[in-house]
Amino acid sequence: MAHAHSVKRHTGLMDWLTTVDHKKIGILYLIAGALFFGIGGIEALMIRWQLIKPMNDFVSAQTFNELITMHGTTMIFLGVMPLIFALMNAVVPLQIGARDVAFPFLNSLGFWTFLFGGILLNISWMMGGAPDAGWTAYTPLSTTAYSGTHGVDFYTVGLQIAGLGTLIGGINFLATVITMRAPGMTFMRMPMFTWTAFITSAIILFAFPAITVGLVLLSFDRILGANFFEVSNGGNPVLWQHIFWIFGHPEVYILILPAFGVISDVIPTFARKRLFGYSSMVFATILIAFLGFMVWAHHMFTTGMGPVANALFSISTMLIAVPTGIKIFNWLFTLWGGQIRFTSANLYASGFIPTFVMGGVTGVMLASAPADYQFHDTYFVVAHFHYVIVGGLVLGLFSGLHYWWPKMFGRVLDEKLGKIGFWFFIIGFHLTFFVQHFLGLMGMQRRIFTYLPGQGFDTLNLVSTVGALMMGVGVLVFLLNVVVTTRRPADAPNDPWEDGRTLEWSIPSPPPEYNFKQTPLVRGLDAYWKEKMAGHTEMTPAEPVGPIHMPSASILPFVMSVGIFVAGLGFMYHQYLVVGLGLIVTFVCMAIRSLYDDHGWHIDPEETTEKGVKA
Amino acid sequence: MSAPHAEQVTSALPHEPEKATLEGRNKVLAFWLFLGGESVLFGTLFATFLALREQIADGPSADELFKLPTVAAATFILLVSSLTSVFAIQAMHKGNRKSLSLWLIVTVILGLGFLGLEIYEFAEYVNHEKFGMTTSAFSSAFYTLVGFHGAHVLFGVVWISLLIGQLAKKGLTVVTAPKIYVSAMYWHFIDVVWVFIFTVVYLLGKVG
Amino acid sequence: MSEHNTNQGSAVRHRHRTEGPQKHVIAFIFSIVLTLIAFAAVAAGGVNASFTIILLVVMAVLQVLVQLGYWMHLKDKGHMIPILFMAFGFFVAGTAVITALYWVWW
Repeated sequence: MAHAHSVKRHTGLMDWLTTVDHKKIGILYLIAGALFFGIGGIEALMIRWQLIKPMNDFVSAQTFNELITMHGTTMIFLGVMPLIFALMNAVVPLQIGARDVAFPFLNSLGFWTFLFGGILLNISWMMGGAPDAGWTAYTPLSTTAYSGTHGVDFYTVGLQIAGLGTLIGGINFLATVITMRAPGMTFMRMPMFTWTAFITSAIILFAFPAITVGLVLLSFDRILGANFFEVSNGGNPVLWQHIFWIFGHPEVYILILPAFGVISDVIPTFARKRLFGYSSMVFATILIAFLGFMVWAHHMFTTGMGPVANALFSISTMLIAVPTGIKIFNWLFTLWGGQIRFTSANLYASGFIPTFVMGGVTGVMLASAPADYQFHDTYFVVAHFHYVIVGGLVLGLFSGLHYWWPKMFGRVLDEKLGKIGFWFFIIGFHLTFFVQHFLGLMGMQRRIFTYLPGQGFDTLNLVSTVGALMMGVGVLVFLLNVVVTTRRPADAPNDPWEDGRTLEWSIPSPPPEYNFKQTPLVRGLDAYWKEKMAGHTEMTPAEPVGPIHMPSASILPFVMSVGIFVAGLGFMYHQYLVVGLGLIVTFVCMAIRSLYDDHGWHIDPEETTEKGVKA
Repeated sequence: MSAPHAEQVTSALPHEPEKATLEGRNKVLAFWLFLGGESVLFGTLFATFLALREQIADGPSADELFKLPTVAAATFILLVSSLTSVFAIQAMHKGNRKSLSLWLIVTVILGLGFLGLEIYEFAEYVNHEKFGMTTSAFSSAFYTLVGFHGAHVLFGVVWISLLIGQLAKKGLTVVTAPKIYVSAMYWHFIDVVWVFIFTVVYLLGKVG
Repeated sequence: MSEHNTNQGSAVRHRHRTEGPQKHVIAFIFSIVLTLIAFAAVAAGGVNASFTIILLVVMAVLQVLVQLGYWMHLKDKGHMIPILFMAFGFFVAGTAVITALYWVWW
């Protein structure tokens, strides 16, 4: 059969720059996320090294400020968010039985925009100093009066661009889940990871525009001399805190919900039981997302909003413990009486539960406004949010990476190295952050570059730094695992864990370009498990074998992102000609995309049967 | 799952061509999602404006600055353009390409008229009222909110113009129809934002 | 949507043709009236300020409902998800506005 349109298929580097395949974009997100995660990790180790002993002079106070700012910003926006998107890209379309995402082109655009935003933020190190006002960039610390270098400009412009990419990615996944589900895959039959990816995307959609505005206001203040936060001309610094946290609090649920999803998929697989309380899990996820938009001011108890606002936000914050508690109990009940296998993925998942509970408990403590006056800006807060973000999200990510690695790369990660890495990481984690609770209660402030001896801080800080080094070893072991595994043959079967319950395990590892030769028919929750129990080895197809329509690869997303990058850089240095040039490149690419229809191309049935056997 | 090619369906265009293909339906749905996000974007800008609207420092106040006739004219222009954009979509649903192009052109002209009024207004403020971006917190909030809306109008004008060109070249197909439908949604949303701007910025500014 | 291609659908299509423009012109006139009321209330002056503010907000909300419902077809069936997402967008926007009014200055 002749192709309707001849397509040019790229190879090598061009293939990666132009790809619109969600599986490849997932790998790109993984590589970029790992890179930034590494940079953020090195920054963390430098922070801990500075604090290993009192009156240390490993880095200067200014460098320390830059390190804590970049550690937080890099880890949250450029490290773990893309790792979440990596898993979402690799898994969500497969879990809903889709051949592709709703907008392959936008998916690629989202990735490249994120990457160039991240690069812009990080080149600040080489261009006169990184941002130094904390990841929250509170005004007036972040205004030109107190932060005279271009550092915070890199923060506002870099995050703006990266945030644009994230927003595009979020809309793509919302549309994908709404419209691309296979026949029979109703909302209440979707795997939990897809559910959490869906809800996370919705939070991205509603939270990111707020930070977009916040960053615009801050950059206008800094670059155009506006007065939003300039008190002498009527501005108000508290406004920044509100806008930042209206975004910032939902952001932490953007981070944690996908981890909940990973855990909810990993635990049933390795307990050989269906997830306990599936509907209550879905309900709890939605409720957490909803409440997440009504608690932001608990970050601001000490600004002086008054007892009414503080009481309201205290109560709404404590309410979140209810749906989260539902989830914890559901995981425990899933494990209860199961035939549990402690693979690396399940070790991380099991480590997640108690660790995250500890972070949740300190969260409720912090939610109490009067108590928060004591905890505020101490290491107690640092310990709390690292327990939920590292002990929650990062453990979840490692669990997910071990679990889906064979689906992404066709190779099962080495179990022995996986377990060694897990023990280093989790012991190191608790050593690092458990003691910080007590440092905080003893009065050690966060964001202080050194401390005097004789306050009882010395030993606990030493322990904390040793723990951080152990976490570093854990991450290195994981990297070693990746290298070792990559040198092995790609021989993972469709269902390497043998107890896979969801659709992604019904197709080859890694899946062919078109994912499903025939769109599967879904007959219930845990679609693949259901077929297995009925004695089938594969899914029942919902359509006959036929030609498969594929979207064309395109270099435009990459060029558009370069254009935005150039424009952003020009804006920071008042080079408005450069801004115009960059924007023209971007808009011309948009026009080209609109003017020239993408007819895509087709894969013939003969090709799929042949590939389907050996891929 | 695979969409029919544009050439194959031009002969018999369905009543709602924007929803005839999966791609078209995806586009319309995703644009709604995008507008949900845009609501938050403008909501935050409005919040900023409301927080700072009385912080005039040494500059002029809203009451001294705003002239209702200009605002009323701009409002009327944008309202009419919303109606012409509805007519355009109705023409599209009837498969009448000529009338569709005509209404789109009228919409663009009205959009340009609105932009002209806004630029004139801003120029007046800057040149004659000493009211610039850096004057006060109120002025910064005003220019950012109204300017963001103006930038949206500008983008809409360029976008719809581009679509008029495509319509002439490619005709009304299941590929071009969703683009036109989505641009009309965008145009209505701009009008929705303007309803809040003339209420919150101008009229409330006069009331105090 | 597919029903419009059948014979039965031609009746529906016909009704669209005759009903459409009228409905939208009425919505337009309604919008204009709402706008005029708002402008007139301000131009007239002398009216109680807090009453005027409430009136203005009510006029704006009504007009937005007309735009979203009639011109952007949100009131038509099959718009469950758009309504959900728009409503939540407005909800978050509303929290930001309430914050600006009550919790920024004290």
